[in-house]
Amino acid sequence: MTPDAKRWRAIGQILLLAAGLVVLTFISAGSVHLVNRAREDARWVLHTVEVENQLSLAQLQLHRAESAQRGYLSTLLPDFHTDFEEAASALTPALQRLSQLVSDTPAEKRLVDEMLPLVNQRIEEFRNTIELALTQRVDDATRAVREGIGRDAMKHIDDLASQMRTEEDRLFVERTTNADRTQSLAASMTWVGSGFVVVLAGISILLVRRSARARDDAEALLRDNNLNLEATIDERTADLREANDEIQRFAYIVSHDLRSPLVNIMGFTSELEQLHADIFKRIATFARASASPAPVVAAETEPVLEAEDKQLAQDFSEALEFIKSSIAKMDRLISAILNLTREGRREFEPVRIDTRELIEGIVTTVAHQAAEAHAQIRVEPLPHIVSDRLALEQIFSNLIDNALKYLKPGVPGDISIRGRTKLGFAIFEVADNGRGIDPKDHRRIFDLFRRAGAQDKPGQGIGLAHVRALVRRLGGTMSVSSELHSGSTFTITLPIKWTGSNWKRAS
Amino acid sequence: MSQPVTIIMIEDDEGHARLIERNIRRSGVNNEIVPFSNGTAAVNYLFGSDGTGLDQKGRALLILLDLNLPDMSGIDILRWVKENRYLKTAPVVVLTTTDDSQEIKRCYELGCNVYMTKPVNYDRFANAIRQLGLFFSVIQVPAAAT
Repeated sequence: MTPDAKRWRAIGQILLLAAGLVVLTFISAGSVHLVNRAREDARWVLHTVEVENQLSLAQLQLHRAESAQRGYLSTLLPDFHTDFEEAASALTPALQRLSQLVSDTPAEKRLVDEMLPLVNQRIEEFRNTIELALTQRVDDATRAVREGIGRDAMKHIDDLASQMRTEEDRLFVERTTNADRTQSLAASMTWVGSGFVVVLAGISILLVRRSARARDDAEALLRDNNLNLEATIDERTADLREANDEIQRFAYIVSHDLRSPLVNIMGFTSELEQLHADIFKRIATFARASASPAPVVAAETEPVLEAEDKQLAQDFSEALEFIKSSIAKMDRLISAILNLTREGRREFEPVRIDTRELIEGIVTTVAHQAAEAHAQIRVEPLPHIVSDRLALEQIFSNLIDNALKYLKPGVPGDISIRGRTKLGFAIFEVADNGRGIDPKDHRRIFDLFRRAGAQDKPGQGIGLAHVRALVRRLGGTMSVSSELHSGSTFTITLPIKWTGSNWKRAS
Repeated sequence: MSQPVTIIMIEDDEGHARLIERNIRRSGVNNEIVPFSNGTAAVNYLFGSDGTGLDQKGRALLILLDLNLPDMSGIDILRWVKENRYLKTAPVVVLTTTDDSQEIKRCYELGCNVYMTKPVNYDRFANAIRQLGLFFSVIQVPAAAT
């Protein structure tokens, strides 16, 4: 997957989440709004019912007042009078309440305003008739009732009331419809919102699953890559091992094959030497024979040559000597290579080694040389390590030999072997106060057959090359720090626990 | 030697062969020396055209063998000789430049009778060969099995 596509996918997920949030907020706000509206609608429906109720109450009080008036007029019982007063006094607040309730609808307000004087007029009429009855003019009163004074007003009031009721009924229907609509709107909104949320959730799940799958794929790829990497490393290690083995075999074969002609050169050179002796013996014999027929000199005695022949014989011998010394040197070099390859073929065996004890053993063997060189060797406490004993012996005896070999003339030698541990490695230092090594030779001295400084000591230039090869095979490194005339310090870093697994040979 | 022993010299380097022959002669050994400069010719001679070694039946042989041959390994020749019913009694002297201890051990395991490393130093080489010649003059060599 390209980085671009990844970014777009991430942005898509964020957008999706944002959209989900917006939809939820919108639905919540809508629901709250609709619920509020439904409550309002319900209140209005309730209001209608209350108005109708109040209207009925007012009409009831009016009719009650009328009944009480009729009752009083026919019986003159004071109870009816009291009744009437109660009804009349209840009527006014009822009407006021009604007027308040309908204040929102101007049409009804108008009806109530129209109704109010009529009702008051009716109450006044009732009260007048009662007053007449009280003042013993019952006949006038009954006549007034009988004549139907105020009947029209009463009818008008009922008309108005029924108009109001009709209006309220209409309002009721309207408001109920409103409430229903609001409710169904809220319900549908909830449904649609829920649907949205479900859809968004579905898409989210899909996306999450897709990215989870992408992650799994990436993990699998990573795992495969790791395996591939390991395989590649194994392959390379095998290649390196093979190359190393090949170099070892090469060195071995070359040194062998070089040795064969060397045997011939040496052999026939010796034969030549033999011949040389025979030839010059004969020359001497002939020379003497031609000079004077003296008795033959015994063959065993050294031939006496003339000056010219003597020179020839010397040149001949000199040439042969050069050839022989060169052959001897070549033989030493070839033997050295053979020994190195043989070392390279030896199996190392990791064992626990008391390094200090091992080095003290080496110091004992070189005690004589040290005494001759007026040198003291100090071995400080050293860490124990697991490594190959023979290799370690060769490493340290080479370094100590070198330190003793290249001391400064006239200065008592001081050689110290120190050790410490760091991060699973043991670091050993072999330090001397000898003649030192020029920094430009620091690399050279580790090369095979290369030496540095004054060539006044015997040696093949093999020791340090050998030491470095051993240290490497033991999984370590080595380095030198030195200045001319101011001593040298060789530092060797070896694993504390060498298992032999690195550099394990296949063969 | 009680019988005329034939010395079979398998040595690819002619110079070496010459030096060996000279030094053996110098030690006073006058037996016939049959030189071979490669393994194939030597194997053909030793085992005959049928490869059974029947030709050598009843002959007394001493084999001087170099391990580094151009066409085959001397170790193979050693093994074949020691596995052959007619040749296995013939003493085999391995004379080679190899002084690897593994190689030496292997040769003795395969039945080699003497293993000698050719010294590069000629005096020592000559000395070694002369001593070998002296050795030849005193040892008893059985005739190949009948």
